[in-house]
Amino acid sequence: MASFSISDRRFFRLFCISLFFLTITGCRGNQLWTNWWTPGDTVDNVGYHPDQPIEYSHKLHAGEKQIPCQYCHSSARRSAHAGIPSLNTCMGCHTYVATDKEPIKYITEKYNSNEPVRWVKVHDMPDFVRFSHKPHVLSKTLQENYAEEYAQHDNQSCFLCHGDMKENTTAKQEKSMQMGWCIDCHVTNEAPISCETCHY
Amino acid sequence: MRSNDSDLRRLDSASEAFLGGDQPFESPAKEFVPGPYFMGVEEVMPELGDDEDSDEASVSKEKSKLSVDRRDFMRLFSAGAMLASASACVRRPVEWAVPYVDQPMDQTIGVPVYYATTVDGTGVMVKTREGRPVFVEGSGSHPLSQGSASQLAMSELQALYHPDRRKAPQIRYGTNRVSDVSWDDVYVRLGERLGTAKKIGILAKHTSGNSRKFYKKFLKEFGQSEDQLYLYDSNALRVNAAAAHRLAFGIDGYARTNFRLAELLVGIGSDFLDVGTSKVFESKNFSRNMSYKFQRKGEFVQFESRTTMTGGKSTTRHPISTGDELAVTLLLVEALLENSAAKGTAAEKENIRKVLSSARTVMDEARSRLGFGETVFKELAKNLLTKKSVVMVGESSANSANGTLLQLAGIMANLLAGSYEDKTLDLDRAWMVASSGDNDMARFLRDAKSMDLLIVVDVNPAFTLPASTGIRETLQNIPSIVSVQSMPCETDEYAEFVLNGHNILEKWGDEEPVAGVYSLVQPTVRPFTDSMQAEDILMWASAHAGKPLGYQDYRSYLMDQWKELHTASELKVDFKTFFDAHLRKGWFSRIGQRDLPELADVSEKFNPAIPKKGLKFVAYLDPRLYDGVGADRPVLQECADAMTTVCWDTWVGLAPQKCKDLGLKYNDLVALKGPSGTIEVSVYPLPGLHADTVVVPRGNGHADGVSRVSTGVGVDPLTILEAEYDSISGIPVTSGQTVEITATGRRYRLAAQQKHNDMANRKDILKTVSLATASANDLAKKEFDLDDVPDLYPKLKEHPHYRWGMSIDLEKCNGCGACTVACDLENNVPQVGREQILLGREMHWVRVDRYFSGSVENPTVSFQPVSCQHCNHAPCEAVCPVYATTHDEEGMNNQTYNRCVGTRYCANACPYKVRRFNWFTHKWNVMGDRPIDRNPRALNPEVTVRTRGIMEKCTYCVQRIRDAKHNAAAKGRIVADGEISVACESACDTDAIVFGNLKDKNSRVAVARKNMRSYLMLGADPHHKHYGLKTLPNTSYMAKVDLHGAKDKSHDEH
Repeated sequence: MASFSISDRRFFRLFCISLFFLTITGCRGNQLWTNWWTPGDTVDNVGYHPDQPIEYSHKLHAGEKQIPCQYCHSSARRSAHAGIPSLNTCMGCHTYVATDKEPIKYITEKYNSNEPVRWVKVHDMPDFVRFSHKPHVLSKTLQENYAEEYAQHDNQSCFLCHGDMKENTTAKQEKSMQMGWCIDCHVTNEAPISCETCHY
Repeated sequence: MRSNDSDLRRLDSASEAFLGGDQPFESPAKEFVPGPYFMGVEEVMPELGDDEDSDEASVSKEKSKLSVDRRDFMRLFSAGAMLASASACVRRPVEWAVPYVDQPMDQTIGVPVYYATTVDGTGVMVKTREGRPVFVEGSGSHPLSQGSASQLAMSELQALYHPDRRKAPQIRYGTNRVSDVSWDDVYVRLGERLGTAKKIGILAKHTSGNSRKFYKKFLKEFGQSEDQLYLYDSNALRVNAAAAHRLAFGIDGYARTNFRLAELLVGIGSDFLDVGTSKVFESKNFSRNMSYKFQRKGEFVQFESRTTMTGGKSTTRHPISTGDELAVTLLLVEALLENSAAKGTAAEKENIRKVLSSARTVMDEARSRLGFGETVFKELAKNLLTKKSVVMVGESSANSANGTLLQLAGIMANLLAGSYEDKTLDLDRAWMVASSGDNDMARFLRDAKSMDLLIVVDVNPAFTLPASTGIRETLQNIPSIVSVQSMPCETDEYAEFVLNGHNILEKWGDEEPVAGVYSLVQPTVRPFTDSMQAEDILMWASAHAGKPLGYQDYRSYLMDQWKELHTASELKVDFKTFFDAHLRKGWFSRIGQRDLPELADVSEKFNPAIPKKGLKFVAYLDPRLYDGVGADRPVLQECADAMTTVCWDTWVGLAPQKCKDLGLKYNDLVALKGPSGTIEVSVYPLPGLHADTVVVPRGNGHADGVSRVSTGVGVDPLTILEAEYDSISGIPVTSGQTVEITATGRRYRLAAQQKHNDMANRKDILKTVSLATASANDLAKKEFDLDDVPDLYPKLKEHPHYRWGMSIDLEKCNGCGACTVACDLENNVPQVGREQILLGREMHWVRVDRYFSGSVENPTVSFQPVSCQHCNHAPCEAVCPVYATTHDEEGMNNQTYNRCVGTRYCANACPYKVRRFNWFTHKWNVMGDRPIDRNPRALNPEVTVRTRGIMEKCTYCVQRIRDAKHNAAAKGRIVADGEISVACESACDTDAIVFGNLKDKNSRVAVARKNMRSYLMLGADPHHKHYGLKTLPNTSYMAKVDLHGAKDKSHDEH
């Protein structure tokens, strides 16, 4: 090959570097670029579905039993954090309901020994991102722009980012939640896109 | 202390590179043109400037060479390598979401809960997040704070989360064996001691609340006299004024200046804007009523020997020699007496004449020394009688030998001037005094010698009293001392029981700062360490001694006391509703009425000491650190002193001319030889000081090991004072003793921040207008649009409803630095320590620049808080290569930390020098050579903590803006004016800072921006079509108003 003009030494260096990367890639498969930034297996963490202390079923509670999301995640409309319900919220019903089931025994025991349940955080924003549930949950614009979908989801906005939780058991990351994804929606719905909307 | 922190290593090597001779910020600009304003005295008197490489710098160079050795390097290197290899195979750790087991009813995660309590004598609202206090701000409804909190109150957060707080109670067995014990051990042993003690005393922090009553009850239970309760107060004014009022009128408390009615103030050595009785209240009312408003400005004539912030706000200032305050007051009294319009009864006048005749020598002697003639007093007396006026005498931060006599003279002056009659001095709402009776300190020093058991609560007499009073020996000789302290202090050394008391944010209690105003203290957080409230400790111990006080805890005692108040209030609600409502509000008032009794004959007690000759020494309370309680709080140490801008140090202030005479320069280390000792301090030539006055601030110079923050910082000026007491109130004298100054030939650089962010003597920084101009403009209702600037840039994208802006009124600002402290605490701004400040790396987002103008002997002082100006055409935005700093459609200049790569181009481009670069990750708060853990719980969770290599600056408290916007959006409206209060604005004692929406034409900030006094910094003179840099800041300034100035002046009149 006449056009091949890389000197031996350079070629050797290139070879070493690619060998190095290939080794790592071989070891870690497609996790190479995701190993630090996301707890999940994909670049944008979509599909992250970790094991939780108990197999809580959103499908049962929100789907079958038709309990509205904000019955348990009540701080979503008041605060930046949607909040995982405290144990006394669970015990409100489960002192009487399904007390013979294993998971219920687990939370009853935890509640009685005054120990919190350690859930694994699924939607984990970096510390330099400030997301607030409140304006998104209460947004009139979203309600107008997505009227049809809202109607299918009890007139609540949760599905926009969390997907249809009525289909899931424990929480699973459904959407990318990377900045591009946020910005796309902000642009579509004419929400502010200045940096200090989220970074401060 | 050695540290393994790699940042610290780099710090040392960095200082090597930077401590060269050519420092950009220390030496004055080479081609300096003296203008009307100067920042440092070396600009007008170059011979005083420190342009040499100081010895101290070379010392630190040597140290840095020694401190990195090969072994440490290897250790660090291997640690780094391990970390690198570890990070390659470890995934980001899984984070947990842990909800409450039982969520409290009033808690919503992420929504702050506010508690009303009382700190430092003013009502505050403590913002808590998930049960942890994160910010202390003034309570808007509280009559004494009116929305602002003092620096000490705000920094209580750092005391609460301080890493040096004791974790367990301790008992000292034998000579020096101190062991951690349990509280039960303490109660049993203390119970025994109480049972056997013959004479018990309680030395407590001054309080005007019910704990006084409680201590007396406790003493009575053990058969002790109630007089064995001693309340300690470092504030000389409070003690002296109370003693004087007791003597002159036989009443409790002392009259409060009613600034609302006053047209003329005469201050004689007064410092109510520095420390005062209640700095927040007095600053607030002074600025609201005495600064320029509706074409009028109150007149304030100040006679003083120090250069104080109070003197800085005066309209006329006369420097007088230290100790002449009494003579000046008496000369004024004499002038008033001679005026036929003088108020007061004939008997009172006769009494006053008697006093004057007994003080004749002092007056005659001073008359010859004063630089001004009799006409000044005559004129002043005439004005005092024609206008509604007050004479405010005496310093709160230092006590002269004639302290109480000075207050008596002040009472006479006010009587003659009719201040009590005019209600400019208010007795109905008088300041209540925090003493248990007469002469607390004198009684304590006398009684302590025969005491078996002394209980010390939250005071530190071993440090705050001069050593020459023999306090240490006295404490040493008391068989058993119980020291209940929220922070470790020097007194603990003498104590058998070293007990960890509650911080004020964990306590129950109450105060009555002003007669009839009852202010509650309630816990805002569950105690962090295993601490107890002093009153509770006493309750438990007395139960162990077999004499139970009959209450379960102090809270129930307090509620019992408030039940009396409830009955007296005759409100038609039950007690629980009453108490809960006032707990929520924080205070309750029931103002009575008091008539002024006739002035008693005090001439017998009037034996004034003659002021000493020579250089007179004043050890004054540092407005930030107070008597030393603030010394262990980094945020106060790092806040620049108003006049000198020095931090993390003790300095000696000398008149510039005196420096020249003595052959001293700025930063020269001198030996101050006082009557009982010598200290070495660096010289700061301070314009405005009287030539005979030598000032050194108190607060620093703590014993090693008391706290990691205060160890090795500064010296204690009290050590050189001889034992001398006020003849009436009995408190130790801290001003007026003579000192000798000798140069040591060495130099020690003071960490002064003034020149660090020098705007290179550009024009148009500070402006002053005359009263005539300001009034004429206001009368004609003239307005000016500062944003009407012709420019070629494309039009900015604008938000339909919001454009945030700030207006800072230089007429009101008194330079106290509360804005800096509030900003540091709200925005997680790290404290960096003295070494870093010497390198110009302080991180304050808002700094207070201080300018002098006029003569060096008696300058006019102007203060200017400078934070990011949020320019619409920001020079920083254009130069950022990564778009980390961008413009917002709401007018804000955004700094995106996660984008910043740390090129520092923006800091170079910024003409206002307000951008701060993180040279280190201050997560572990490296302060000089002492690493202090920054308690993550003390951080504001709303603001990102920045890491090394990132630029930061004022964000207009965007987290508060977001919060308000979300709240408003939830209700379907836009943010109303006043809904957002940014940290500096909320802390500002003087209401100088106003923040709001410029798009709202009626908002306070929009109205201020349109005012003719408003100008843009570095915006030249838009009124004459000179637009300067055309940066178009959203922060505007309002020019100072000069009462006497015939001509307007600004920086561009060079």
